[in-house]
Amino acid sequence: MDATEEISQENAFYDRNGAAKIHDRIQKRQQALAEDAERRKDAKKSHSVREEKSEYFLRTFNAERAAIQELLTGCSGADRPVVTQQLEEATAKMTQLQKFLNDSVIFLSQYEIRVAQTALQKLQTSLSETREEALPKKKFAFRSRTKAAEKGSDCPPPPETAGSGVTKMDGAAVSKQADFSNISNEYLTKKSEDIQNRDVLLTHLTNCKVRLYGSPSTLHLKHINACEILCGPVATSVFVDHCSNSILAFPCQQMRTHNTTDTQVYLHVTSRAIIEDCLRVSFAPFSWSYSTLDQDFSASGLDRDRNNWSQVDDFNWLAAGTPSPNWTVIPEEDRKTTWDP
Amino acid sequence: MGLLTILKKMKQKEREMRLLMLGLDNAGKTTILKKFNGEDVSTISPTLGFNIKTLEHKGFKLNIWDVGGQKSLRSYWRNYFESTDGLVWVVDCADVLRLEDCRQELSSLLLEERLGGATLLVFANKQDLPGALSKEAIREALALDDIKTHHWCIIGCSAVTGENLLAGMDWLLDDIAARIFTTD
Repeated sequence: MDATEEISQENAFYDRNGAAKIHDRIQKRQQALAEDAERRKDAKKSHSVREEKSEYFLRTFNAERAAIQELLTGCSGADRPVVTQQLEEATAKMTQLQKFLNDSVIFLSQYEIRVAQTALQKLQTSLSETREEALPKKKFAFRSRTKAAEKGSDCPPPPETAGSGVTKMDGAAVSKQADFSNISNEYLTKKSEDIQNRDVLLTHLTNCKVRLYGSPSTLHLKHINACEILCGPVATSVFVDHCSNSILAFPCQQMRTHNTTDTQVYLHVTSRAIIEDCLRVSFAPFSWSYSTLDQDFSASGLDRDRNNWSQVDDFNWLAAGTPSPNWTVIPEEDRKTTWDP
Repeated sequence: MGLLTILKKMKQKEREMRLLMLGLDNAGKTTILKKFNGEDVSTISPTLGFNIKTLEHKGFKLNIWDVGGQKSLRSYWRNYFESTDGLVWVVDCADVLRLEDCRQELSSLLLEERLGGATLLVFANKQDLPGALSKEAIREALALDDIKTHHWCIIGCSAVTGENLLAGMDWLLDDIAARIFTTD
């Protein structure tokens, strides 16, 4: 009975205030909706990724670009090692910047991409210009080589067929090499004009003394026994293979030694010497000298101040920390100081 | 993280390529890699182990693996074969004495099952040296014309001057892209 009374009372209340009440509710609802929308908008703003805004991209890109530019301007007039380091840094930064651009491509407009790409290209050009300016290539080696290369690339097409072309090229290559082979018990020398910028090959020599005055491009020593071989600055690599009981001396950029035993090397190496399958090879700094050595050094383009003769990598000894048993440093008191016979 | 970021990551993954650079020691693999990346090439020493470079070119992300070529390292080459898209074989054209070695190493690589799908680019390197063989001579010496199992191309180049490096890389990327990103 009570319950029905209450309901009827409520109905009466509604009847009276119904319209006002509903209006009120609608208003409240609308307000809540608006607040909700506002909140969602805020949330969205705070969630969107900062890195995907084009202002962010432009700011970062321009800052990086300015930093690189500064590195490059800092290069003019600085010392060689400083310049090298700065250029290296600039190159690394440039790569990073390119990567950053590539990563950002997806949310940038076409125009922005194009502008950034052009800026990068400009930067790349000025980098290579700075490099060219600060660390110029050694003129002598560079010129003579390109000339030779041009000559080489110009001649092959003419009349011969493919087959004869190969034999001819082989012949040309061999004639360009200044060689000694199959000789015993002799004193052998080569002058600068015979070996300058060429590949020199010495094979099957026994008990010989060899003096190469000049700056070859590469030097190959193969099957050498009981010889003393001295050579001027080698512009690139020296290969030593199957060499035993010998004394070698030369400056070079890299030295690669294989299957060699009981051999002393008086070495100037600007990058690294390596040994592989070698036993009892010993090293000391290069100490031979002859009248035109300075001249040949500059022709080879080797850095006289950088000599890594005592840092030998042994490819058969990859344990870091413990030194390889296959090579040693010649103690100072045992080093050869007089060379000429 | 926005949806764009996710999409971007997926897209990136798709455009990634793995290139393996091999060849005899002193062929110039590291020099090519560094030159391609615009780094200084005058201080490179023989690679004891390997170098990896990730770089962007033509909108592709390239993971280039440069593995040392010394005899004692060649047995480790196979550790790097997995999922290789392109094989770059570098030849020292001035090293006439070891061309036969070079041919043998290459032909045994091409028999490798895990390299079956890879495109082969042969760089006839050191064309700047006076004693260098032409790319035609190298093509013959390595018997490239007998290769039927792989797409291949030979390009004469000089890592020191940078000549033709881009041309070679572009060919390689185009060939790989045509194979694996056909939907693009």
